[in-house]
Amino acid sequence: MNAVTTSLPRFAVERPSFAGVAEAELDAVHRYLLFLTGDRSAAEDLTGETFEKAFRSWRRFDPRRGSPRTWLCQIARSTALDHFRAEERRWRREERAGRDLPPDAEPDLPGPAGAALAKLAPADREVVALRVLLDLDGPTAARVLGISPTACSTRLSRALKRLEELTDARD
Amino acid sequence: MPVTDTDFEREFAELVAEIRALPTAAPAQLRDRVRALGEPEPQASWWEGIRLIRPRRALLVLAPACLTVLVAAAMVHGLLSSGGEKTAATVTAEQAQRDLGRRTKTSPPVVFGPVTSPLDLQSGSSGAGSALVPAPVRGRPTDYDAFLRVRVKDLETLSRRSADAMRLARSLGGYVESVEQTTAVGAPGQADLVLRVPVARVEQALVRLAGLGTVVEQHVSIRDLQATVDAQRRRIRNLRVRIARIVEALRDPSLAADVKLNLQLQLEDARHSLTAATGSNKATLREAALSQVSVSLTTQHAVAATKPHHRGRLDRAARDAAGFLASAGAVVLYLLIVVSPLVLLALAWLFAARAYRRREERRLLAEV
Repeated sequence: MNAVTTSLPRFAVERPSFAGVAEAELDAVHRYLLFLTGDRSAAEDLTGETFEKAFRSWRRFDPRRGSPRTWLCQIARSTALDHFRAEERRWRREERAGRDLPPDAEPDLPGPAGAALAKLAPADREVVALRVLLDLDGPTAARVLGISPTACSTRLSRALKRLEELTDARD
Repeated sequence: MPVTDTDFEREFAELVAEIRALPTAAPAQLRDRVRALGEPEPQASWWEGIRLIRPRRALLVLAPACLTVLVAAAMVHGLLSSGGEKTAATVTAEQAQRDLGRRTKTSPPVVFGPVTSPLDLQSGSSGAGSALVPAPVRGRPTDYDAFLRVRVKDLETLSRRSADAMRLARSLGGYVESVEQTTAVGAPGQADLVLRVPVARVEQALVRLAGLGTVVEQHVSIRDLQATVDAQRRRIRNLRVRIARIVEALRDPSLAADVKLNLQLQLEDARHSLTAATGSNKATLREAALSQVSVSLTTQHAVAATKPHHRGRLDRAARDAAGFLASAGAVVLYLLIVVSPLVLLALAWLFAARAYRRREERRLLAEV
């Protein structure tokens, strides 16, 4: 795929099939959403929703503007933000109704790294996911996050240091 | 301190390896759900096609396209409006006089001037001067309007010449319709006179008025009123015939009352129309009897005469195209002035919405 993209001229970028892209990028999108939400079941729902959205807007995907992974991560991020907003509204409603908020669930990622990740802010977790797990380069990750590449690098550095501190503290 | 692509791999090698080892693969159930989506329909509707066009790219294509179309339109306009071998609109008095003589029913006015050099009309009614004054066509009603701008030496002469012009109009059987004289110290003086002179003597009047000073500008407009007068006369004749017929019909004693009333109403209408038509005819003939001569006496120096320049067709086309482009530019500028506040408001709203969205995102993702 990459070979085709780079060897052909700019106006002749081959368009991949949606099914092929979905098969290839499903794990990556799921990983990203799992890190972003820190909730396995929410991540599964959001991944499904992300691919449904991508399916509906597949014609708008332009391979010349970025890789399918970047495009899918942008959709996933927007879907996750909608989810956070909805959750926030739900919590507010429950708070008004005088109900107790659910206790903090156990982290869905196992091991000391998983536990440390659960303590990070979603913004830090998503930069780790994009750069470390999905192997996106700095500018591409910055584009997904809607920030500058410098801010992206700073955020990653800060997140990893904090993560290291947290894992060291556990040890 | 920001980390580069390879920095964090080296600096946090152990942590990175640990993160990458986390079980994060999508479950089989989710995979089946995504697989079930299949492949989207390849054909896009025209609306989706339009939605796919990105505004920035559309702007990049549309802006040069519009510019090209505008320039092409300007060139076509220039070529079409430049015409064939027609030259400047200034017609010499002699040519116009010849044209006028050839015409039998002339409706559009013939306009002379402006002349580009001081005229020599002072040599009397039968000399070379009168040849330069277009004469009304003898025997035909004509609407004759003339304008002369005459330069005189100083303010004292200006007053004297104004009085001369008024005397001249009266001596030729006409009258002075209006006079407006402006004299102020340090400023050029001006006297504007509107004289009504019998058409039969207008040539003589123009020549003598030209003798008041140096003629720097002259316009003469002659409009043949014969067609108008003929039409008015025909209408008067028809109305008279109609009235006579109605009167004749009314003499019949066997007429029913309603028919008689109807005829009387028609008669009344016809008489009103006849009165109006007769009035119009008299007004036209009065107009044709007296010419209007506007004289502007001034002490100001004449603007330097320019040499008539006969441009080629290409030159004219280029000038017309440039004029067209200038008009289009003015329209665009006007639209920009009108639309720019709205665009600024829209941009401010967009920036505010984007800032709000960013802040919301930061808040949502900052929660631990």
